[in-house]
Amino acid sequence: MKAWKFLAGLLLAVPLAVLAQAFPSKPVQLMVAYPAGGSTDIAARIVAAIAEKDLGQSIVVVNKGGAGGQVGWTEMSRAKPDGYYLGFINLPALNTVILDPDRKAAFNADAFVPVINQVLDPGIIWVKGDSPYKNLKDLLDAAKKNPNKISAATTGILSDDHLAILMMEEAAPGALFRIVHFEGGAPVMTAVLGGHIECAFDNVGSVFRRVKTGELRALAVMDTQRSPFMPDVPTMPELGYRTVISSSTRGIAVPKGTPQPVIKRLEQSLKKAMDDPEHLKKMEEAGLQLRIMVGEEYAKYYRELHAKAAKYTEWARSRPHK
Amino acid sequence: MEGLQYLATGFASALTPANLAFALAGCVLGTLIGVLPGLGPAAGTAILIPLTFTLDATGGIIMLAAIYYGAMYGGTITSVLINVPGEAASVVTCLDGYQMARQGRAGTALGIAAIGSFVGGMFAALALVVVAPPLARFALSFGPPEFFALMFLGLCLVTGLAGQSLAAALLMTVLGLLLALIGIDPVRGAPRFTFGIPELYDGLGFVPVVMGLFGVAEILLVVEAPFRRMVETKLKGLWPSAEEWKRSGGAIGRGTAVGFVLGLIPGVGAVIPTFMAYILEKRLSRHPEKFGTGAIEGVAAPESANNAYANAAMIPLLVLGVPSSPTIAILMGAFIVNGLTPGPFLFKERPDLVWAVIASFFIGNVILLVLNLPLVGLWARLLKVPYQYLCAGTLLFCIVGAYSLKGTLFDVGVMLVFGIIGYLLRKLGFPLAPAVLALILGPLMEKSLRTSLEMSGGDFAIFATRPISAVLLACAALILAVSALRLAALKSIRGGAS
Repeated sequence: MKAWKFLAGLLLAVPLAVLAQAFPSKPVQLMVAYPAGGSTDIAARIVAAIAEKDLGQSIVVVNKGGAGGQVGWTEMSRAKPDGYYLGFINLPALNTVILDPDRKAAFNADAFVPVINQVLDPGIIWVKGDSPYKNLKDLLDAAKKNPNKISAATTGILSDDHLAILMMEEAAPGALFRIVHFEGGAPVMTAVLGGHIECAFDNVGSVFRRVKTGELRALAVMDTQRSPFMPDVPTMPELGYRTVISSSTRGIAVPKGTPQPVIKRLEQSLKKAMDDPEHLKKMEEAGLQLRIMVGEEYAKYYRELHAKAAKYTEWARSRPHK
Repeated sequence: MEGLQYLATGFASALTPANLAFALAGCVLGTLIGVLPGLGPAAGTAILIPLTFTLDATGGIIMLAAIYYGAMYGGTITSVLINVPGEAASVVTCLDGYQMARQGRAGTALGIAAIGSFVGGMFAALALVVVAPPLARFALSFGPPEFFALMFLGLCLVTGLAGQSLAAALLMTVLGLLLALIGIDPVRGAPRFTFGIPELYDGLGFVPVVMGLFGVAEILLVVEAPFRRMVETKLKGLWPSAEEWKRSGGAIGRGTAVGFVLGLIPGVGAVIPTFMAYILEKRLSRHPEKFGTGAIEGVAAPESANNAYANAAMIPLLVLGVPSSPTIAILMGAFIVNGLTPGPFLFKERPDLVWAVIASFFIGNVILLVLNLPLVGLWARLLKVPYQYLCAGTLLFCIVGAYSLKGTLFDVGVMLVFGIIGYLLRKLGFPLAPAVLALILGPLMEKSLRTSLEMSGGDFAIFATRPISAVLLACAALILAVSALRLAALKSIRGGAS
């Protein structure tokens, strides 16, 4: 009986081992759910160029932009789970696409197995350089005194920035912003610098250069630690808002059903590439903050973020002032 | 003159070997498109957009812009040699250009056209350098309500000026706006009119739609047209004589002025400036009876106006983000596809790109002068290729191009369907320009409308209480009223005569 079990185990294990040994035997696709030239795409190309040396096969970055990532992720959820199809998952954008019933996503959170996280771009609140709001307190006081009058820009509905406004309102009871959604960072910049909108919820990577030139003033970073790109700007926990932690993260995942040894093999090459000094240097030049997470750590982050996003997505949909 | 300083850095970038090669390639392709009868700048630019996708944004846009004004040059060649305008803006050039060719003066006609085009193009590009930075700074005071009002005004201008029937133009504008609604709602995120097809979530691709409406539809129209023989002539004496110079100098200057001013007004289109310049010359001339029998002024003025218009029309696009003609709308599409939104902010955000593109206008005009003066014989030879080969080749190119956009057959299907729609609309006499402009402006207008309403908490008064937007909307209403009256008057005159 024992021998029987052993044999069965062996029969199962051998093909897996062979699979892992033979993997990869052809080029690997790395899908980016945004158009070429965006910050996810740039980061993907940097890591792909380094990781393919260790993987022994080329990694081809494929852009499947559209519908805020939904087009690419739909394709990814339907891809063959053999390890030759990897894709970038951007959180919480992926979560809100799944969670918003209007989007009718053809996949759920379990359709993807997170492999390794690369970038964590923390959220930030900023105002125009000559704004009367010198710090977060000024802004929140104004939003409490004139509820639903102080306009706040987001880079899109149910973006991490939109959720961050709700977190801020939750943490500072009485403060109510007039939320104005834009599409992407460039129109937000135009509207706030043009004096049409009072503040913006955005990410460090998109604004740090302009903070340095003084064109705009960063009020708070929504992370547990200060951003290396703007060390003078306080974090939300420092200002007493422990729950206002928001970011946009970008990491690599595979479709559900990809064999575990294959995932391990990919993780190994990708981790090595992300620790490479060349990767670190190029990411810093691009203004992208690294937060490498693998295995259970990343899986846990993915689960917890999904639950958190669910709460705020629900809230965003039921908020009387839309 | 801050513009000149920026322009210097622009030249540094535009003169790199790669960007210079893109400008040259664009000029050659543009001239080719201009020469091929039927394929106008809009069709050509639309067809060639996929080709530029592999390039970086600066190189791609330099090349597309070069294709655009290159086609404006090239259209003249067919007008003069076979009496068929290569593109709509060269219609007037046929009147005297073809007559000159029949008298054996084809070389002079083409020579003065190239020189006039060069002067017109260079002047407009220079003016762009001077007026763009202050205008862009002013435009920064535009918030979402002002942009909505501005784009609404642009659409009203196009609708009011297009074609003979306000109803037909309005219908086309609404068709464009309806098509623009397809895709994910920009504010709530819900899919609209997508019928569960994921490819439609991002809306109908602008590029395959215009490739169909202009490219495929024009190929179908060309197939129907009979093959025209070229006038048998030796192309010599390109350089005008002293007497001809004297006669065309003033015409070039006035043509340039007319083209430039009309280029600043969104919606005028490329044809009106050439007619206006021609009529102006005829009125001012001491021997108007010679017009239509080979008067050199009749070639010089419209050709200068044509290219002054082409370059001036870049000003509203670059400064305000408002396209003034279908071709410019297609160029705007190329910016957007590259992740860039033309408008005042682009001057702040990507001065490197904007000024490199502006510098390339000067380089392109020089390249075109060279291409057109000594090499005109080469282009003329192209006219001997029978249409069927050209059409089949171009159609194949369109299909490959549409497929290469995203690597899906869906876009090819979209292009072919819109090719048939475009062909039918043209046959029925519906103007396509309002539809295309509405298609590109629709999503931007919708976004600025809804952002404005988010800003005001749903109160439409925001458009009336902000002065710039109030003035712009009043202008829009005025334009629609005036064009309705004009067309009604036209109708009653015709009605009375019959």
